[in-house]
Amino acid sequence: MFLNAVIIVLQEILEASLLISVLLVFTQLFHKIWGKSFSLKTSWVAYSIILGIIGAGLYSHYTPQVSEWFDYVGQEVVNASIHIGSLILLLILAFVVPSKKITGKLMTRSRLTTFCMTGVVLLAIIREGSEIMQYVGGIAGQSGNFTPIVFGGIIGAGIGLSIGVLLYYGLMSLSIKWAYRLGLILLMLIAGNMGSQAVLLLTQADWLPFTPIAWNTSALLAEDSILGHLLYALIGYEATPSILQLVCYLSGMIMIAISPLFRKVQPHNQSLAGTN
Amino acid sequence: MRSIRLFLISSILATLVLFNFLAALQGYQSSMEEAETLFDNQMLDLARLVSNLDVSNSNTTEIRLGNDLAFQIWEDGSLLAASSNAPDELLQNFTPGFEFTNFNGYRWRTFSRFEPSLNRWVIVAERTDLRFVLAENVVLQSIFPLLLGIPLVGLLIWVIVSHGLKPLQQLSTELKNKRANDLSPIHHTDSRVELDQVIESTNGFIQRLGRVMEREKRFSADAAHELRTPISALKIQLHNLSEEIDTNHDSFLALQYGVERMQHLIEQLLWLYRATPEQFVANCKAVDLFKITQDQLAILYPGFEKKAQQIELQGDSAFVEGDQFALEKLISNLLRNANKYTQEGGKIVVRIEELEAAGEDAVKGSAEKEICLTVEDNGPGIAESDRVRVFDRFYRADSQDDTPLSPGCGLGLTIVSHIAELHHARVVLEESSMESGCAFKVYFKKIS
Repeated sequence: MFLNAVIIVLQEILEASLLISVLLVFTQLFHKIWGKSFSLKTSWVAYSIILGIIGAGLYSHYTPQVSEWFDYVGQEVVNASIHIGSLILLLILAFVVPSKKITGKLMTRSRLTTFCMTGVVLLAIIREGSEIMQYVGGIAGQSGNFTPIVFGGIIGAGIGLSIGVLLYYGLMSLSIKWAYRLGLILLMLIAGNMGSQAVLLLTQADWLPFTPIAWNTSALLAEDSILGHLLYALIGYEATPSILQLVCYLSGMIMIAISPLFRKVQPHNQSLAGTN
Repeated sequence: MRSIRLFLISSILATLVLFNFLAALQGYQSSMEEAETLFDNQMLDLARLVSNLDVSNSNTTEIRLGNDLAFQIWEDGSLLAASSNAPDELLQNFTPGFEFTNFNGYRWRTFSRFEPSLNRWVIVAERTDLRFVLAENVVLQSIFPLLLGIPLVGLLIWVIVSHGLKPLQQLSTELKNKRANDLSPIHHTDSRVELDQVIESTNGFIQRLGRVMEREKRFSADAAHELRTPISALKIQLHNLSEEIDTNHDSFLALQYGVERMQHLIEQLLWLYRATPEQFVANCKAVDLFKITQDQLAILYPGFEKKAQQIELQGDSAFVEGDQFALEKLISNLLRNANKYTQEGGKIVVRIEELEAAGEDAVKGSAEKEICLTVEDNGPGIAESDRVRVFDRFYRADSQDDTPLSPGCGLGLTIVSHIAELHHARVVLEESSMESGCAFKVYFKKIS
């Protein structure tokens, strides 16, 4: 029980904290790059976390009803929709960022970016939080499970949050150029993971056809091993991804790669390095 | 703004939590493996004990045991004795060692042993779920103090970091509280190696700043004297000349205008460079804006009378904190400006009123009051595109015109803006409430 609790809570918290850290790093980087003309308030994190926890509570409470929707595949469809919604918001964010250094106010763009960041984190917390709540609610009630679940949950959450905090400060300690590059790579992996997860859930719900498996790395690294779970949270590792999942993973990454967010790092390399 | 304290506390705590919790996980796994070995050893001992039990050969003996343990004793292929919870079937093949099996709805760990002296096979079994729960409970008890300790460690880190940053915070407060005209070096009593360089550099900077300011002050005084003296001499010569020649001659009027403009320019220039925050802070006190306006109006009244302008002062006593001399200059410049740019027979209204603070600095929900000084006229006004430029140095509304209206150098409104800035006041240029013209509004903070 204890190890299961650690793994499940760690996986969910790590996914959310990774996303929050990367987006917070971008919030700070935007401020450093564009100054006041494209500056986002960091308070969006607090709002999205609070609203996300409330949303997760409501979603986990109504999960039994939700799972009955669409011929008993409601939960898969709703979870896939959350992934697709997050991906769309992430792509809007990547495309509304100014592509070159322009003077004047960028109020609408900064508001839209803040909205997208809040939305992505809100949806992530609803998704991950409801999964934790369902797991804890379902298992902790059974006799003898309470202590291992609580201890496991605290340890999992502690490790997940710590990695998030250290990732944030680690990226912030780099030069703007490198923080931007690494943040972008992580954002590409997050976007790819969202697309892949949505496909997996819709395939499970039978809304998408089964496609052949692209490869099988179960022997090399099993999905249910601790490292497998960690890599799932970090880069969306799957031992047996389907071809459609792979296509969507790569599409998510490519979309970020062709966005202004990606191009931003190129023209100001020299000046950015100088400002830090 | 990023905080050093937050960075130190969260990164130290995160590192500590990460490594401690990973160590706890590692400890959990190795302790569980150890517990498994311990339980297996116990089963081994139990099997030895059971194999020596004295049981009759005639009937199968049933011995009551707890739910977590079971055993069987086999001799020549028949069950000689067993615990009450053991099935009649063979629990494990007659091969010595450990195995797993299922019965009674649970999974069991089994151990089989052959006792050659009695020619018996002994099989003991233990429920795996109970073994696991027991082991896990014991291991988790060792993790509990770690979890309990994390909030305490967090609190301790917060206290230590706060204590460590105290000298920096003290230095920051000391610098913040330093008055603008205080150029004495910083004497930080609670000095640290890391801060010594900062203090030394800051003191060096303050010292250099003091020297520069002293030089500037001396220059202003010298310039005032050196420039004013020849101008005064020129004016005397001009007066003497006016006694001897026709004063209506164009050249004489141009010369008189030139001298007056030069004098005005020097006065304004000197004023602009001498109005420093240091001087301002030293002379700051509560002053009545209405009284100053009244006095300045009285001084400048001949100018308004000359152009037959109608001037009106509205309002009542209103106290603001500031430098009397600077505020006199501000009001006088605004009045001169209105006088200069309003047509003959025009109307000028000066108003002093108390308003609810509505500026960017106004704290939401607070009933902070502002004093608004308005000087408006019904003159030609200022085009919207030019409004932002009127406070620029040497900008004159008539600069495109070759026939200047009166002595002026384009510094008057720059000085107004400069004085307002020293008083943390806002200057706003709007359209006049009259049919034409413009309104200069200066918003001061009211003395609480």
